[in-house]
Amino acid sequence: MNLTRVSNFAFGLALLLYVVAMAAYFHHLAFRRSRVRIAAVALTYAGVLAHLASVITRGFAAGRVPWGNMYEYSSIVGLLVVAGYLVVERVSKVRSLGGFALGAAVLAMAGATMVYVTPGPLVPALNSYWIRIHVVAAMTGSSLFILGFVFTLLYLVRDRKERREAARAVAEPAPALAAVGGGGLPHDLAASPDEPEPRPDPEPRPGWLPAAAVLDRLAYRTIAFGFPIWTFAVIAGAIWAEQAWGRYWGWDPKEVWSFITWVVFAAYLHARATVGWRGRRAAVIAVVGFAALAFNLYAVNLVIPGLHSYAK
Amino acid sequence: MQTRAGETRYQSLMSVWRTLRSMRMALILLLVVGLASVAGSLVPQFANSPQRVAAMYRDRPLLARVYEAAGLFDVYGSWWFTLAYVLLLVSLASCLVPRTRGLIRSLRQRPQPARDLEGLRHFATATVPGRPEDALERARRLFRRRWYRVSRADGDDQGLAAEKGSAREVGSLLFHSAFFLLLVGVVYGKGFGFTGQVTVVEGGAFTEAHANYDVPPAEGRFYSENMHRGFQVRVLDFEVRYRRSGLPRDFVSRVEVREGARIVRTAEIRVNQPLEHDGVKMYQSGYGWAPLIEVRQDGRLLAGGPVVFVTDGSQDQRKAWRGVVKLPSVRPQVGLELRLLPDPQAFVLGAPMLEARSPFLGFTAYRGDLRLTAAQNVFTLDKRGLREWEEGGIGIGQRAQLPGGLEISFPELRQYTQFRVARDPGTGIVLAAALLVLAGLIPALFSSRRKLWVRAMPEGDGTLVQLGGVALQRKAAFEDEFQAVARELVEVARVGEPR
Ligand code: HEM
Repeated sequence: MNLTRVSNFAFGLALLLYVVAMAAYFHHLAFRRSRVRIAAVALTYAGVLAHLASVITRGFAAGRVPWGNMYEYSSIVGLLVVAGYLVVERVSKVRSLGGFALGAAVLAMAGATMVYVTPGPLVPALNSYWIRIHVVAAMTGSSLFILGFVFTLLYLVRDRKERREAARAVAEPAPALAAVGGGGLPHDLAASPDEPEPRPDPEPRPGWLPAAAVLDRLAYRTIAFGFPIWTFAVIAGAIWAEQAWGRYWGWDPKEVWSFITWVVFAAYLHARATVGWRGRRAAVIAVVGFAALAFNLYAVNLVIPGLHSYAK
Repeated sequence: MQTRAGETRYQSLMSVWRTLRSMRMALILLLVVGLASVAGSLVPQFANSPQRVAAMYRDRPLLARVYEAAGLFDVYGSWWFTLAYVLLLVSLASCLVPRTRGLIRSLRQRPQPARDLEGLRHFATATVPGRPEDALERARRLFRRRWYRVSRADGDDQGLAAEKGSAREVGSLLFHSAFFLLLVGVVYGKGFGFTGQVTVVEGGAFTEAHANYDVPPAEGRFYSENMHRGFQVRVLDFEVRYRRSGLPRDFVSRVEVREGARIVRTAEIRVNQPLEHDGVKMYQSGYGWAPLIEVRQDGRLLAGGPVVFVTDGSQDQRKAWRGVVKLPSVRPQVGLELRLLPDPQAFVLGAPMLEARSPFLGFTAYRGDLRLTAAQNVFTLDKRGLREWEEGGIGIGQRAQLPGGLEISFPELRQYTQFRVARDPGTGIVLAAALLVLAGLIPALFSSRRKLWVRAMPEGDGTLVQLGGVALQRKAAFEDEFQAVARELVEVARVGEPR
């Protein structure tokens, strides 16, 4: 049996299932049919299984861990974005955002197909158990940041809408407020300790995203969860670099951009605690952090010469 | 008047200090450091890619000048990058000191009493059987079981106060102060360490001393030339192992370490597996061919020994390797430009030359003035004073005659191996600091501070118990915890404590 072909077939199947699941999720967002939601979740799980099969057979085909080049890396990041979303759905009870998360995963996988290579062995420099530790942490951290970015974008969209509604509500009194979907007012999140926090509304009305405050907290949680993992990935990279190249830090482009990503998300976490920077401004910082992450994965590997370039 | 000026200066200093201390400033400095690093990744850095910097001077000299003036070829060593992160550290310190003081104070203090529990965000009340003292005792045990710090709040014998989650502040302080340790480790390691590069031919040896590196090693400010360790590393052999596909699988240097005349250890140095001896690490970093070349004039040996060859195609190994032999004692002086094909057959087929199979050495001899008084490059001839003289080629074990009694022979082909040699005594500190960053980060992000108060007052036969609570973070999750505590408080009063 040709494992490479099995892996590629499973990859295509996963992609297809994700796309259909994404459509179902969007349908549910618009019309709130609970049957469609169940179908969406089932399709997503099926996609995850196919994807997992693709990754595992790829590992066997190459005779090593299946994350040694950009194709494999992007594929697994896609898988982890979807898996991460399923966890978020369980924990937060916010169930209407699957289409967006799947969209991000599909983009990551589409990116992967553009840098496809046939499975092969690793160059000696990558031949170390640190590839398990460092790269797994980097993939996990990246996928959480990507999810956080998706939630942040949705927050920005929803927040804008809520601000408009609130402005209108001030202009023409009372009843207009009722038009706000998830029932949230524009919120300053970490405001006074006694201000009631909105609980996520599991089923906002058809066509509406959850309240901005809910999305904002979701984004924050996801990014805060990813941050120590990313920190660990960078530390593990430094330990590996010390072992492979004789210095733990040399301002190689990949190192620089991981550092930038780290600094920007650190700034995001700080902004959340700084008066005047909460909400939209913090969200913009998270978007910049995502841009740095994407730049690190694509531009640094493909365009800028450096020690990591061989990881293509 | 003088005091006035002094005062305003003091005031403006204070206002600068206040600005630095603000969270907003720390945030902006973080972003500045991030932005500055972007510049360093887009403009070629001298330390990482000197060739690209050189190319820049050649192709766009004006721009290169501007970049140089702005420190853009060495961003991470430039004054403005240093300024940005020093300011960041100052700002960090200015936050840390008062925060640490505050933390210590609040850890020493008992939780504050609260009189008006009904006004709190979370509030519950119930009437339970038994005396108030018992109710309070039960509450104390319950809180303890939930890892709260409990105390009878000062001067309040009807109530208890409890709090939890100082790990958040402790973690945050740990995380932030670890950066200072990190910096100490980096500076210490750079100051007392060095890095260098050395090339050793199979069968040859390298003694760890300043003069023996390919180019003078980069030594830290506090590392002097005579602090090198002086041990000797002899390279027994070097091997590249290939996969069937022709891709390299491993690079291995087998070495012997000697202290004086004594062999203290033998080791294999490979990629990802450096040798550490006496605080110095040696990393496998390169390799190539070093043919033994002997040149005789009328039977007298003029030059003999391995010559290090380089290639422009080290990635695919399809190109000839280049080397040079200079013969300054011949009149007129002679220079040989040499080309090595480790595997001529593969070369002809356009395949990579991975192993030596009847290697072939081509040469071009030049005659004239080698200009040895000028700066030298061991891999090229300075041809300004030379004229082309003879050409030829020999296989391994063969010899070629040149006019004037010169004879070139090629008895053996060896490989050389290159090591990056480094000493960085700060690595351990940096690693510890990095782990502390991580250790602090996790509680700082994931624990939350919350407080509970309970009051108990006699009411009829039983006791009226009031429970109040506040959470500073994760308020939604606290709601559930609060409900659970309230439920348990009532249950233990009715049913007794769980055994
Ligand atoms: C301080 C040192 C290092 C840092 C900060 C660092 C950072 C990163 C980051 C952020 C990624 C995520 C993926 C990406 O953006 O491309 C990554 C991936 C990776 N790193 Fe590193 N790294 C370091 C050292 C090393 C070393 C020494 C090696 C191996 C010799 C290595 C091998 C890899 C590989 C194989 C990947 C995944 C493949 C890919 O990027 O396509 N890294 N690194």
